Amino acid sequence: MLLRSVFGKTIRDLRWPTFWVGLGMGAMTGYFALLYPTYSKLFDLNSMLAKMGPAAKLLGAGGDASSLVGFLHLELFSMILPALMVAFAAGMASGFTAGEESRGTIDVLLSYPVSRRRVVLEKAVAVVIGCVVAAVTVWVLALAGAAVSSSPLPPDRLAEALVMLVLLGLAFGAIALAISAASGNRGAAIGVAVGLMVVMYLIDALAAIVDGLNTIRPLSLFHYYMGNDPLRNGLNLGDVAVLAAVTGVFLVAALVAFDRRDLAA
Amino acid sequence: MTAAIETEKLTKYYGRSRGVMDVDLTVEAGQIFGFLGPNGAGKSTTIRLLLDLIRPTSVRARVLGLDVHRDRLAIDRRVSYVPGELSLYSELTGRQLLTYLGNLQGHVDADYRETLIQRLELDTSKRIKSLSRGNKQKVGLVAAFMIRPDLLILDEPTAGLDPFIQLEFEHLCEEARTEGRTVFISSHQLPEVEHLCDRVGIIREGRLLAVELIASLKERALRRLEIDFGSDIPLEAFANLPGVRDLTVDGEILRCTVMGSLDALVKTAAQFEVRNVRSVETSLEEIFLAYYGAGDTGGAAQGVGGAGHAAA
Repeated sequence: MLLRSVFGKTIRDLRWPTFWVGLGMGAMTGYFALLYPTYSKLFDLNSMLAKMGPAAKLLGAGGDASSLVGFLHLELFSMILPALMVAFAAGMASGFTAGEESRGTIDVLLSYPVSRRRVVLEKAVAVVIGCVVAAVTVWVLALAGAAVSSSPLPPDRLAEALVMLVLLGLAFGAIALAISAASGNRGAAIGVAVGLMVVMYLIDALAAIVDGLNTIRPLSLFHYYMGNDPLRNGLNLGDVAVLAAVTGVFLVAALVAFDRRDLAA
Repeated sequence: MTAAIETEKLTKYYGRSRGVMDVDLTVEAGQIFGFLGPNGAGKSTTIRLLLDLIRPTSVRARVLGLDVHRDRLAIDRRVSYVPGELSLYSELTGRQLLTYLGNLQGHVDADYRETLIQRLELDTSKRIKSLSRGNKQKVGLVAAFMIRPDLLILDEPTAGLDPFIQLEFEHLCEEARTEGRTVFISSHQLPEVEHLCDRVGIIREGRLLAVELIASLKERALRRLEIDFGSDIPLEAFANLPGVRDLTVDGEILRCTVMGSLDALVKTAAQFEVRNVRSVETSLEEIFLAYYGAGDTGGAAQGVGGAGHAAA
């Protein structure tokens, strides 16, 4: 029964959004995997990329579409999936404390023996689970599509790329959570998190073309998410550590901020 | 015995408005305490300070002998709270919500919960969002009473309840008191709580003006009387009776206000032929307003003036 705890209640609240986001991202990935052979026969993808020149890099750097792995990297993992995952995680995270505050349910919730910190923590764990479930859905549907179209797609590398995707989502989710916990303002939390994502994406993508941006490239979380090209090369523990650390720092900030604040009536 | 609520110089500067200042409030255990004041006087601010939802600017308060901040969870296990602007998870049904809140609390007497649902005539199968204000309030009250807390903090609890349910709510409060529990009720409407409470605290513009026993407030209650006699009566016969003021005699009709006992007046009147006696017990509202009298009471003071004028 999900109504046992704040964690369970949050999972309950998130079950449909998670289902739809997972299904959406999974269907998209599975669809590309399914149709890749057809695409690659119809178009010479690599020469198209070559024609686009540097602009292709804006859409996701490493332009080799001559395999399903390269194709997925280019088409989905470089921009669309991270954008969806970040929006999903930040949307969930920002709704928690700020959502309960603006709806006024936080007064009742906190009059029960649940500490403010536990509320934030249990909700944060629920976000992690939501992101993982969405990623697992992508994994299953992508592999299914690849199996049907007999395209090579290594399950372990795909899983590693999805781990990075989840970590990226969680990092932005933690940022949104911290803003939401500190301000009680849901709109600000989503807005800042998504805005930051766009800026960081552009820094990383432009740095591939513009040399001068290389110095600030490490400021972008996309640098750690994409840097090692996990779909081809697997996890880089340093990148994992950076994203996990960012998540941890903002989670602690959220806990501290929410614990100290006067809550809105 | 430990007081249920104890604050000393509780102060909160809260946003732009003033919040509360120097509130010294003691609520004895086992009482029904009315916390009265007009809207915006600082009732909800005081309550939210007691619940640690907002933090005081100076000096801490104690609930059930425990520090409101440090011993938060210990207090939460023994206190239940129904906010004035009650918001509940609207996507849940009443039943689901009670299950959830019961689980957060940890222990709920299921039989008692069902009794409460019956007594307050709550339909628990409907989603919260489809409930009227009064029905939502009932869900909140069931949730508050079902854990049998040592202290119930109810912010404007009767808003939206129909009279029958309101009566049932009063019985619940009285039963809680019989069991030694404390009930703290805030209200801006005196008549709603005056027959229920043992004591009232009156707050205005963030300051606690007075804490009084209801009984002693009532002792000081004024009663306005109008007596029709069978014939003209002499004013002198009624002058200087204890407790009688504002005496006027207009032919056969005597008008006055009496403070405390009516004994002397009635015995004197009995010497004459009495056709009719009309009595208006002044409500606590008027005593309440007397506390506010010094300030800008606006419309409220007009009400008293109007009544006085009618009696004159």
